[in-house]
Amino acid sequence: MGLTKQYFESLGGKILGLVEADSAQLWLTETEDLQIRSANNDITSNGVVDRFKIGITVNYGKQSASIEINQSDDEAIREAVKKVQQMAKLAPEDPEHLPPVEPGEYLTPITFSEATAEMNPADALKEMRPVIEQARAAGVESAGYLERSLSSSALVNTNGLFIHGQGSGVNFSLTARAAEGRGSGWASTQVTDVAELDLASVGDRAIQKALASRNAKARPAGRTTVVLEAPAVRDLLAILSWNLGRRNYDEGRSFLNGLVGEGEEVIGGQLFGENTTVFSDPLYAAAPCGVHDNGIARAKTMWIENGVMKNLMVPRYWAQKNGIATVPWPGNLIMPGEGKSTEELIAGVEDGVLITRLWYLRQVQPQTLLYTGLTRDGTFEIKDGNLGDPVNNFRFNESPANVLKNIVASGKQERVMGSESDSPMHVPPLVVKDFNLSSVSDAS
Amino acid sequence: MHRRDWLKGTSAAGIALLSSRWVTSAEAADALLEKFPRLAEVALSHATSLGASFADFHLMQTDSESLYARERMVQGVDANSKLGCSVRVLVDGAWGFAATENLSETAIRKVTESAIALAKGQAGWRAKPIEIETLPAYEGTWELPIEVDPFTVSLEEKVDRLLGINRSALETGANYCFSYLLAVRERKWLANTFGSRITQSRVRLHPSFSVTLTDPKQGGFASRESFLPPRAAGYEHFRDWNAVEEAALSVEQAKEKMAAPSVSPGKKDLVIAPSNLWLTIHETVGHPTELDRALGYEANYAGTSFCTPEKLDDLRYGSERVNIFADRTAEKGLSTIGWDDDGVQTKGRGFPIIKDGIFRNYQMAMGQAALIGRDGGSNGCAYADGYDSVPLQRMPNISLQPGNDEAVTAESLIADVEDGIFAEGRGSWSIDQQRYNFQFTAQVFHKITDGKLDGMYKDVAYQGNSVDFWNACDGLGGKDTYELGGAFNCGKGQPGQGAPVSHGAVPARFRQINILNTAEESGKKVAKQCDCSGGGTSWA
Repeated sequence: MGLTKQYFESLGGKILGLVEADSAQLWLTETEDLQIRSANNDITSNGVVDRFKIGITVNYGKQSASIEINQSDDEAIREAVKKVQQMAKLAPEDPEHLPPVEPGEYLTPITFSEATAEMNPADALKEMRPVIEQARAAGVESAGYLERSLSSSALVNTNGLFIHGQGSGVNFSLTARAAEGRGSGWASTQVTDVAELDLASVGDRAIQKALASRNAKARPAGRTTVVLEAPAVRDLLAILSWNLGRRNYDEGRSFLNGLVGEGEEVIGGQLFGENTTVFSDPLYAAAPCGVHDNGIARAKTMWIENGVMKNLMVPRYWAQKNGIATVPWPGNLIMPGEGKSTEELIAGVEDGVLITRLWYLRQVQPQTLLYTGLTRDGTFEIKDGNLGDPVNNFRFNESPANVLKNIVASGKQERVMGSESDSPMHVPPLVVKDFNLSSVSDAS
Repeated sequence: MHRRDWLKGTSAAGIALLSSRWVTSAEAADALLEKFPRLAEVALSHATSLGASFADFHLMQTDSESLYARERMVQGVDANSKLGCSVRVLVDGAWGFAATENLSETAIRKVTESAIALAKGQAGWRAKPIEIETLPAYEGTWELPIEVDPFTVSLEEKVDRLLGINRSALETGANYCFSYLLAVRERKWLANTFGSRITQSRVRLHPSFSVTLTDPKQGGFASRESFLPPRAAGYEHFRDWNAVEEAALSVEQAKEKMAAPSVSPGKKDLVIAPSNLWLTIHETVGHPTELDRALGYEANYAGTSFCTPEKLDDLRYGSERVNIFADRTAEKGLSTIGWDDDGVQTKGRGFPIIKDGIFRNYQMAMGQAALIGRDGGSNGCAYADGYDSVPLQRMPNISLQPGNDEAVTAESLIADVEDGIFAEGRGSWSIDQQRYNFQFTAQVFHKITDGKLDGMYKDVAYQGNSVDFWNACDGLGGKDTYELGGAFNCGKGQPGQGAPVSHGAVPARFRQINILNTAEESGKKVAKQCDCSGGGTSWA
């Protein structure tokens, strides 16, 4: 990462110095990505990609416009400022427009690791090689993706706001496939500090699942008890979080409207099971996130506590209009668990299905937050408290709201990847009753 | 505020939203064109000197503008410009790739070295070398023909149209409405060590809206999104759309949807309009016939495919009337372009994927045809979604061909359905990682009774297996019913890339398709219309 906090301060000052509008806000971002992709036990595409972005929003009263460029020479910046000001002057007044945020009190982020920043292409290839060789030795075909991301960014505005933050992270996932018997397994990890990266255990888990899932037997669809491993849990929780907006609820077009009776208040309502707690916290060490949401300071926020809805996200305008506090969008999600091992969770299930991960989740019915999707890369039957045979995959039709009402038990939290978002999350595997496995999928 | 009040005080002529040097200035494009040969020479000669057996250099500029109107307010006036270059090298049978937004010769040498290092870092432990075919060298220019450049149309004109849509919806009874316009221009310059030097430019446009009605007493709501698909076209695509009328119709349909009976699940005949079927084609034919998927290259993300190479020329993918053709030359097709991002000319490279119901061909990029023993090399399906993305095999325009009987229409297909459903508009979509089991919804599900439309159903999804579904097709509209649908953002790859793609379709009829009641799927008890003569309501 070449650009320092001082550089951003200088660049921000220069750009704001060119602005003639009533007010302005800038997003300055530098990223550096290292990407290694593999398939069929060989490296395929890969890349080292540097990016730089300047985002400029200017306002004349309630008229506003934004522009984003990725060139930083003086002429490009001058042109961008000139252009966005022309755009803003022509934009209609937005009655809901608010001026840029005032500086707040921000936590000190813990999202950056120097060791991660030092990882180079040779290091990344060195990490990947043993995993691929492990797959070759096991007689499975592996496909994986390692991405090391670095970012340095600043939010600057004409109210004197200047927030600088750095982030680092490594995501790694591996799919192992056994041609004979159509087995497939997947595992992943996500770390802020490369010192915590353990690709070998991810590779081993994916390979063992691929081998164990060969020769799946037929199991019919139907509502059943499932053990959702952490990747599946994080997908469902992410979906729920995207739908916790106060405005949509107040306007009568949220799934929450169907959960809250007439005249009842959503905040404080027992909407989910008593064993459900979800919060966010920028300083949560196992899965930290940025300390602000477009300049609104983030702090530890309880969303659901023992099944009771404690907060909804409230944008600035909606907060001002309704005389309530702004609640910023979370940067991470944490769901505490009971700390049970997966074996202990399985032991409590008489008849059910263990699900490794979910795939292609899409909303079917916003009124109930019904989502559909599929199981993938390791689906097993549970019989009499024991992990049984691999079984076919399933399409599910289920609402995350129902899932949070039907939690039977929970395990030990993990930071893994999901199918639907890369945001940091620390969630446990869950035992969930009455999960709707709607139809059988022939995919393996 | 009246929708035109905001215009007062602005310049009489107004300006185009984006007339900056990155977007419309011919001078800016000329300047890049002038720079391109030298920058390409720096990259390619440096790559060759460092041991690359093949290299290509991509210079790319992507500009976009978006406008967002919510109810009677304009809440988004945004522009974006992304300019940069990348170098891809093949060294000792291994790929390397690096990209930067810095167009200095020093930076280009540096990214070339990064790409070389990534390739060389695989030496000694690759199982198989990557091999590519030799491509012809082209020097050429291609530009998408459009009538009106959307980047030259005034902001006032665009905003006026969006607010007109919202006003129509609100005045017809919508509680909420948003409308949106997204315009994108791609300019690409490609040079490779085969000797090609190619300059291309294309534009795409996506106008859309969504209306919502709420029922505070019941805690319910219903939405209906516009049907107009994005196209590779100029502003005329928005200008010629009677969106005001469709907005009013959408409100009426949303009202009807809220009051409609909940569908009874089970097998029903299904007639699907092109506005819905294009996405079904995309998911059940487009993705399964990507060769890189079939060979395992997408196994860790998008998945693999049931459509494996031994099924070529053998699998009965659909009934005999099903013909699905791929090309990158279709008029207004979002995938249409002169050369793909490997430098393969697309003219004359259209190909059947399904012919008379039989699976005949895969979509392929450079280096892939030989992997399945096919002659002829790539069929021109490489695409990179930005200067910072490596070219991958991506979808061409893939379209269901009209039936032989030109007289067949949606109405005539419906006329031969006793108890069925007519689906219109893109809804939600989901399919498994090998493309067997799909489940789709639509914006509007019309009930068909005895060959006629008979109101609407709500809570509908259709679900099935790709091959079973296409084999259940027993009727196709004639050529006059053909429409081009599509999307800007088909996702694939790690890191993820979005590709624009179109799918032409005619109305089609499918017999005995599995219909789900989505309210029941969510666990709710559903009041249904009773089929018995005594009337009343039964609870499922």
